[in-house]
Amino acid sequence: MTARKRAPSEATLEPQLKSQEKTTATNSTTDLSPIAPSKAAQILKLSLIFFLPYFYLILSHYNIDADLKRSIVINAVLSSVGFLVTLTLIPVASRYVLRRNLFGYDINKKGTPQGSVKVPESLGIVVGIVFLVFAILFQYFNFTSDSNWLVEYNAALASICFMILLGFVDDVLDVPWRVKLVLPSIAALPLLMAYAGHTTIIIPKPLIHYLGFEVLDLGWMYKLYMWLLAIFCTNSINIHAGLNGLEVGQTIVIACAILIHNAMQIGVSSDPEYKQAHAFSIYLVQPLLATSLALFSYNWNPSSVFVGDTYTYFAGMTMAVAGILGHFSETLLIFFIPQVLNFLLSLPQLAGFIPCPRHRLPRFDPQTGLLTGTNDGTLVNLFLRQFGRMSEKSLCILLLIFQAICCGFCFLLRWFLTGWYK
Amino acid sequence: MAVRKRGTSEAAPANPPTTTDSPIAPSKVGQILRVSLIFFVPYLYLIFSHYKIDSDLKRSILINAILSSAGFVVTLTMIPVASRYVLRRNLFGYDINKKGTHQGSVKVPETLGIAVGIVFLVLAILFQYFNFTSDSNWLVEYNAALASICFMMLLGFVDDVLDVPWRVKLLLPSIAALPLLMAYAGHTTIIIPKPLVPYLGFEVLDLGWIYKLYMWLLAIFCTNSINIHAGLNGLEVGQTVVISSAILIHNVMQIGVSSDPEYKQAHAFSIYLVQPLLATSLALLSYNWYPSSVFVGDTYTYFAGMTMAVAGILGHFSETLLIFFLPQVLNFLLSLPQLSGYIPCPRHRLPRFDPQTGLLTGTNDGTLVNLFLRQFGRRSEKSLCILLLIFQAICCCFCFMLRWFLTGWYK
Repeated sequence: MTARKRAPSEATLEPQLKSQEKTTATNSTTDLSPIAPSKAAQILKLSLIFFLPYFYLILSHYNIDADLKRSIVINAVLSSVGFLVTLTLIPVASRYVLRRNLFGYDINKKGTPQGSVKVPESLGIVVGIVFLVFAILFQYFNFTSDSNWLVEYNAALASICFMILLGFVDDVLDVPWRVKLVLPSIAALPLLMAYAGHTTIIIPKPLIHYLGFEVLDLGWMYKLYMWLLAIFCTNSINIHAGLNGLEVGQTIVIACAILIHNAMQIGVSSDPEYKQAHAFSIYLVQPLLATSLALFSYNWNPSSVFVGDTYTYFAGMTMAVAGILGHFSETLLIFFIPQVLNFLLSLPQLAGFIPCPRHRLPRFDPQTGLLTGTNDGTLVNLFLRQFGRMSEKSLCILLLIFQAICCGFCFLLRWFLTGWYK
Repeated sequence: MAVRKRGTSEAAPANPPTTTDSPIAPSKVGQILRVSLIFFVPYLYLIFSHYKIDSDLKRSILINAILSSAGFVVTLTMIPVASRYVLRRNLFGYDINKKGTHQGSVKVPETLGIAVGIVFLVLAILFQYFNFTSDSNWLVEYNAALASICFMMLLGFVDDVLDVPWRVKLLLPSIAALPLLMAYAGHTTIIIPKPLVPYLGFEVLDLGWIYKLYMWLLAIFCTNSINIHAGLNGLEVGQTVVISSAILIHNVMQIGVSSDPEYKQAHAFSIYLVQPLLATSLALLSYNWYPSSVFVGDTYTYFAGMTMAVAGILGHFSETLLIFFLPQVLNFLLSLPQLSGYIPCPRHRLPRFDPQTGLLTGTNDGTLVNLFLRQFGRRSEKSLCILLLIFQAICCCFCFMLRWFLTGWYK
C-alpha cells in the first residue's frame, strides 16, 4: 500500500483546482520542471559499490563465452540508455500527472512546509514503459535466442506488461484492496502457460537417505508454487513501503544481488542450459536496475515524485519472472527475507484479527522531524520500536542496509551449503 | 481522437462506491444480440455444417467461442462497476452531439475500453491452456500478440488518463507493434499477381525487411484510423464489430476451402484473437450504442485496431484486412489535408448539432462523417451511424466479391 494520502475531490478544493489548472497550464508551456532536480550524481556514485564488482565479475574474473558476454554487454548498454531516457522523461511525465490530479501529500512531512507540496504520483508508469520498450528492442540484439527462449521471453513481457497495466489502473481508479491482491494472479498467467521447464525439485542430499529418491516431480504443484511466488513478490514489495525511497531502494538492492548471483552462476557452471537461464534473468534485471536507478534519483529522500502501485507491482513481477524463468526462485525468496518478515508481521492485521488502519505508518513529529514507531505490524515500525526514534532518511538507509545484509546472508548460506546441500 | 469534451476537474459527485445503484442506464443487450444473429447464424453454420473442418481445429474454435461468450457476460457485468470507479476519478465527458438538450449535461463515464481490454486479455491468456493444437512457434506468435495488444492497451489507457499530445499519440502504436515484428517468423515473400508474372519474370518476391516495415505501418494505420473515424455514439465499437464479423467469416471460409495445414493454422490463429474481440465488443456496444451510456476512450480504439492488425498480420491476410478497412482508408485520405496542416484543423471535426431539430449538419471538415452528411443531407445521429455501419458492411461484402472474381485469375 503506497501510503500517500490521496488528494480529496471535495467541493472546497474547486477554486484551488481551477487556479492550479491555470498555473500548470502556463507551466506546461514553459520549460520549468515541476519537480526538484534529480539526485542522479549522488545515486550513481553510490551505485558504483555494485557496478564495479559486477562488471569485474562478468568481464574479467570469470571466463564467459564470447557470445554470452556480448549479449550481456549489449543489454547493459541498452539499459544505460534506458537510464538516461527515464531520467529525462520523469519531469515531463510529472507535468502531465499533476495536470490530471494524480498526486499525493507526503504524510511523513505533515506539519512542515514540505508536507503541503503536491508530489506527483504513479511515476512508475514511466519506468515501466521505458523498461518494456528496451526489453522489446533487446530481442533484436540477442544472438543466442532459440524458439523456446522467445516463448519464455515474450511470455515474460506479456506478464510484466499486464502487471504494469493493472498497476496503473489501480493507481488511477483506486480499486479495493481485495481486488488488488488478486491482480497479480491474473498477470502471472502468461508465465505459467509458457513455462516449459522442468517441474522437478532436487532433494537436498541429507534427506535422500530418508526419502529414497533424488528428484521429485511436483508437476502442477510446481506451477502453483510459481504462481504464488509471483503474487507474493508483487504484494510484499507493495506493503513494505511508506518511507521516501524505500520501494525503489529495496528493488535496487535485490536487483543487484540477483545480478551478482546470476553472474556467479554463469561463471562457475558448465551446463549451457543452466547458463542460459541465468542469462535470461540478467536480460530482465539489468534494465530493471537501470530504470529504477533513474527513478531513485527523483524518489530518494526527500521525494520529488512518488512511485505508485504501478512501480511496486512492476518491480515485483519482473523479479518474480526472473526468478522463475531463471530457475533460482528459492534463492530469490532468501533475498526477499525482509519482505517475508514484513508479511508475517503484517498477517494479523491483514487477516483482520487485529484492527487494520488505512495507513500503518509511523508517527511523525514535526518539531523534531523524527519518526516514532506505532504498534502496527510492519518492519518499519518494528525497527523504530527496537532502535528508537530516528529521521525518515536514516530509517530508510537502515532498512536498505538490512536488505543488503539479508542478501549477503543468502550468498553465505549458499557457499556453506554447496556440495553439502545440492 | 476521442471526440468527447474532457470533463473538467470539478467537484466530483460524492457517491461512495458502496451503493448498489448502477450509475449508468441499463444495457441494450437484447437489441444488440438480436442484430448480431445476422452474423452468428451464418458463421456457425459455416463452421459446423457447410465446411468439413478437422475435429481438433473445430474443437479449439468451439472452446474459444465458449470462452468468448463467458467474456461477453463478464464484460457486461463489469462495465457498470467500472463506470462507478471511473466517474469517481473524474474520467468522464459530455456528449457534444447532444449539447443543448437534457442529455448533453449528463456525465458520461469515459475509457470503458479498459474493462473490455482486461477481460479480453484474461480470455486470451486462458485460451492458451485449452488450445491443443499449439506448437512452440505458435506459442511465440501468440505471446508476442498478447504482449503487443497489452502494451497498446497500456499506452491507450495512459493516453486517456494523461491526455498526451497528438503527435505522441501517433507514435504510440509504433512502439506497441514491436513485439509483433520481433516474433514474426513467417515468410516475407509476396506472390506476384499472375497477370504481372510475364512482365516481371518471377513468381515470388522476397521483400525481407520491407515486409516488416509494411507490417509495422499497417499496425500504426489500423489503430489510428479507427481512432479518427469516430465521434458518433456507437461508431467506434460498431465499425469494429462489423470488421470483426467479416474477418471471422473470411477466416472460416479460408479454413474450409484450403488443404494446407499451415495456412489453416494461420487463419485459426486469427479466429482465436477476433472471437474474444467480437464478444467483448458486443458487450461494450450494449452500453455504447445510441444513446451512449458510456464512452469507449482511446483505450478501446487502440486496442481494437491493434488486435485486428495483429490478426491480419499473423494470419497472413493483411491485404484482405486493408480492403475491410476501406471506409477507414477513405476517412484517412479525406483527413490528410487537415492532419498535415495544409487546411486549419480544429480540435474536434464533428458535425454541427441543432438542439431544436435534433439533427446533425455536415461541416466542411474532411471526415467520412461530414462527407456523408453533405451528400445525404441532415439526419439524426443514430441514422447516420447506422448508415456508416451499413457502408462498412458493404465494403466488406465488396471485398468478398472481389476475392471471388479474382480467384484463380489473380493468384
